[in-house]
Amino acid sequence: MDISSLKQQFTAELAAAASEAELRALRDKYLARKGGLVSALLKHVASAPADVRPALGRQANELKQHIDAQVGERLAEASARRPAADAVDVTLPGRDPLIGHRHPLTLLRDRIESFFLRQGFLIVEGPELEDDYHNFEALNMPAEHPARDMQDTLYLASPVTSATGTPATLLRTHTSGMQVRYMERYPPPVRLIAPGRVYRRDNLDLTHTPMFTQVEGLVVGDDVTLADLKGTLVAFAHDLFGPDRGTRFRPSFFPYTEPSAELDITCASCGGSGCAMCKQTGWVEVLGSGMVHPAVFEAVGYDPERYTGFAFGVGIERLALLKWGVEDIRLFYENDLRFLEQFPL
Amino acid sequence: MKLPYRWLQELVAVPDGVDAVAAKLGLRGFEVASVEQGAEPVIDFDITANRPDCLSVLGLAREASAAYALPLRQPDRSMPAAGPAPSLEVSLEEADLCPRYCAHAFEVLALGGSPEWMRVRLEAAGVRSINAVVDVTNYVMLEMGQPTHAFDLARLRSGALVIRRARSGERMRTLDGIERALEPDMLVIADGERAQAVGGVMGGAESEIGAGTRVMVLESACFKPASVRRTSKRLGLKTEASTRFERGADINAAPAAIARAAALFDQIGAARPLGGLIDRYPKPQPPIRLRLRGDRIARVLGVSVADGDVPAILGPLGFEVRTTPDAVHSAATERSEAPAFRAPSITARTPDAPRPSPFALPTWDVTVPTFRVDVLREIDLIEEIARHDGYVGLPATFPRLTAPQPPPDPRTLRDRTIKQVLIASGLSEAMTFAFVERAAALPFARETDPAALANPLSEKYAVLRPSLLPGLIDAAAYNRRRERRDVRLFETGARFTRDGENRAVAAVWSGAAAIPHWSGGARGVDFYDVKGVVETLCRTLAVEIAFEPASRPYFVDGRAAEVIVRRKADAAGAARGARPVDSGVSRKIAGEVGQITASALEARGFPANEDVFAFELDVDAIAALQPSGDVRAESLPRFPSVVRDLSILVDAVLPAASVRGTIRSSAPPTLVHIVEFDRYRGKGVPEDRVSLSLRMTFRSPERTLTDAEVDDGMERIVAALASAHNAVRR
Repeated sequence: MDISSLKQQFTAELAAAASEAELRALRDKYLARKGGLVSALLKHVASAPADVRPALGRQANELKQHIDAQVGERLAEASARRPAADAVDVTLPGRDPLIGHRHPLTLLRDRIESFFLRQGFLIVEGPELEDDYHNFEALNMPAEHPARDMQDTLYLASPVTSATGTPATLLRTHTSGMQVRYMERYPPPVRLIAPGRVYRRDNLDLTHTPMFTQVEGLVVGDDVTLADLKGTLVAFAHDLFGPDRGTRFRPSFFPYTEPSAELDITCASCGGSGCAMCKQTGWVEVLGSGMVHPAVFEAVGYDPERYTGFAFGVGIERLALLKWGVEDIRLFYENDLRFLEQFPL
Repeated sequence: MKLPYRWLQELVAVPDGVDAVAAKLGLRGFEVASVEQGAEPVIDFDITANRPDCLSVLGLAREASAAYALPLRQPDRSMPAAGPAPSLEVSLEEADLCPRYCAHAFEVLALGGSPEWMRVRLEAAGVRSINAVVDVTNYVMLEMGQPTHAFDLARLRSGALVIRRARSGERMRTLDGIERALEPDMLVIADGERAQAVGGVMGGAESEIGAGTRVMVLESACFKPASVRRTSKRLGLKTEASTRFERGADINAAPAAIARAAALFDQIGAARPLGGLIDRYPKPQPPIRLRLRGDRIARVLGVSVADGDVPAILGPLGFEVRTTPDAVHSAATERSEAPAFRAPSITARTPDAPRPSPFALPTWDVTVPTFRVDVLREIDLIEEIARHDGYVGLPATFPRLTAPQPPPDPRTLRDRTIKQVLIASGLSEAMTFAFVERAAALPFARETDPAALANPLSEKYAVLRPSLLPGLIDAAAYNRRRERRDVRLFETGARFTRDGENRAVAAVWSGAAAIPHWSGGARGVDFYDVKGVVETLCRTLAVEIAFEPASRPYFVDGRAAEVIVRRKADAAGAARGARPVDSGVSRKIAGEVGQITASALEARGFPANEDVFAFELDVDAIAALQPSGDVRAESLPRFPSVVRDLSILVDAVLPAASVRGTIRSSAPPTLVHIVEFDRYRGKGVPEDRVSLSLRMTFRSPERTLTDAEVDDGMERIVAALASAHNAVRR
């Protein structure tokens, strides 16, 4: 083999050599005293004709130096790349800190509270065991009022002492009792939300649980209007569902508000064109609301001629179904960690 | 309420198809449950409890006539020529429960089937056709919303109808064949002897009309809503009639329905009237008249309505509207009287335009039609104005803030803090129902029986939870059944006793103490993991706590403690490790921590051989002991501290708290911190002894301590430990 093809062969083999071991084997293959290809070549030079011997010798020596330098350079590179003996394997899993998850209903409740806190609302909390007066009567729902059917009630087998003094006879069906208590205690203006757990005698199914979480709101002042209610609720819906979501504010009925209204948003599954989820209407119901009925003001001792106000109530579970596409409301109360851990901390 | 579209069209010539009509009425407050297309299109509305007048084709047609500004055609109510009156005596004894009772005798001509057009309509509205007479009564009820009932006159003893309360012990068999026990506050329609109908709820089987009926008496009355509702609930009997009467009936529909039925009987040849109308109406009720103020409309809605629009909106709905003489005219009235069927407009009040002056707006005198039992005061008329355009023209504005808010409820913030600490401690938040099975609650109910529900959904939800733990144990078991071994859950919420409700926080922890890692160090959860969470939580809530051995039926013996909470002596003192002042009121048992027993786990479907640790704390009790003021910042130490370790041999059963107490009471005041850093039993330590290692930190706020004085302190500590606990220094 001539010198130039030997050099070519070396260049190709050097490019293919990856590890330090391969590089050392490559150097030995060419430069080993015994059996090295270049060493053999140098021995051959001695027996070459005198006229070509000096040139041949020089070329062979140059090749030897070239190989030595090239392999040396690559070995130095490889050695520089070699990790430290105590290096970590950065690809192994890290140690997870122990950290839990907020319940999705808490996540949403915090979000709702933060919206209303930004609008200057106060958060109030109240008892879950209520008396008939604060849950129904003061809210323009006397005994035998047909609207009581809308809220099938769980009653206590015997009255229980309540933190508020009066004996409680039922599990509150809404947090409105807290609003009544607040108005009994403080004069207008009022601007509050009352979040909390409420109870209704509903069998468990895809959209009902006998306990759920509500946020109710109440604003009372000299100059509070139905237009103000519409503005507040539309802003709330946009905060929760995004500014592009269509909203609709339409007449409804609740005994404690007059006029009453419901807020709808465009259906997320069909975008408003109509599907099974929205019963082909393109709209899904979000919450109920209205102007506080004068009879409620009379019950708490506010002058219904001087003050006007609005109230609204929304189920957090319902918002969660709409917001996150949860298909079964019971998931919120099964506490399956595989479900709970899907939501951001 | 199922509204057959063709029936509607007969009363109002609506120009739209069934979907568009449904959508239009939907925006006026009549929620559409479904729309059935096909040969007989039907719109099914969810009628709200305040609108019994719209549990009828006529009521919905009136709304459609207002919505489309089209005239409403009233059905034929002309009374045909009557034959001679039979002997019939009607006496109304309970005008309080039945303010008006009308009756009319009819000769039955043909009791066969009703004509096809009537059957088709009834079936479209969801009512089965029975015979010509019953079909007419159902037709009238669907059309006008007024239930009627036919008695066989021959079966009425003494030819009498007596409207009275049921007698004590009185019984009757209703049309559905069920024998019912009546009570004295129920209204019945009786003959000379016995009850023949439950007023407003259901007729009786005995006087039911049948093939042999020659003369019938048609009843059309107005019953008091509360009485009908109470009776219907008590009997567990909800009918088309009771649904309508309990929401309120039109007092003037009673005679009108008889006239309508007579016209229909005549039209289909089923019956002819005998004698005249019997109308028992002792206290005729004048229609309600209301004052409607223009400025009030603007005040409630936030928009002003053009003057002419008020009669234009209310007129087609049956209200009589007159502008009162004392009304002050404004520029708006110059538009003069609006035509009867004009689409009214609502204009927005722009934010910068001042509210229209009340003096410039008129007042109206409004007479409420008797079928609108829901309209009782001015605000109800304002709603009529508002809903006219489905709130579409209403602007979106914001309520003005006029006063600063009072401070927030501390409970809201405290709950948030508790959740943050527990989530940061690795626990996930659970929410469980407040009612549990009695058997699950009993072990956790102290002293008294748990508070029970009168009408629980099922035995699974029979009592209110006395503790959050049963729900959490169930939640842990639920996860464990789904192959999840490592369960860490907490819940905050109310728990209940017969003395009321109380806020608590509780947690359960099963499986690993930390998230498993390839580097090893895996270990199951133990008592101290859960105790550490309680300590961290109480430190965050700024209360002092101590643990004392306790016994609970649901905790493993020797692995349970009571959590005793004390008010902090003062923030600075606590930081120095000084003993808090211990007064009776500032110390409470505020909870417990321990390992759940195998039997308690097994009872709830959790494998009994696995360890589950739990804690529960009374948040209200802790809150009462929290400091009220701000944290006082302490200046940082200016002199170095001296750290000394001490290893001693003591009895294995001696609590560490006793050792710590002896050290504190014998140490110089420069001792600022003690912590156990090792506890060892085994080789080199006698059987019943334990080697306890403590690290003590000494520091003075005034100077650098010398080795000599720390040595001196240590000697005193060792001596005290030797004499108090027979401790031997290692």
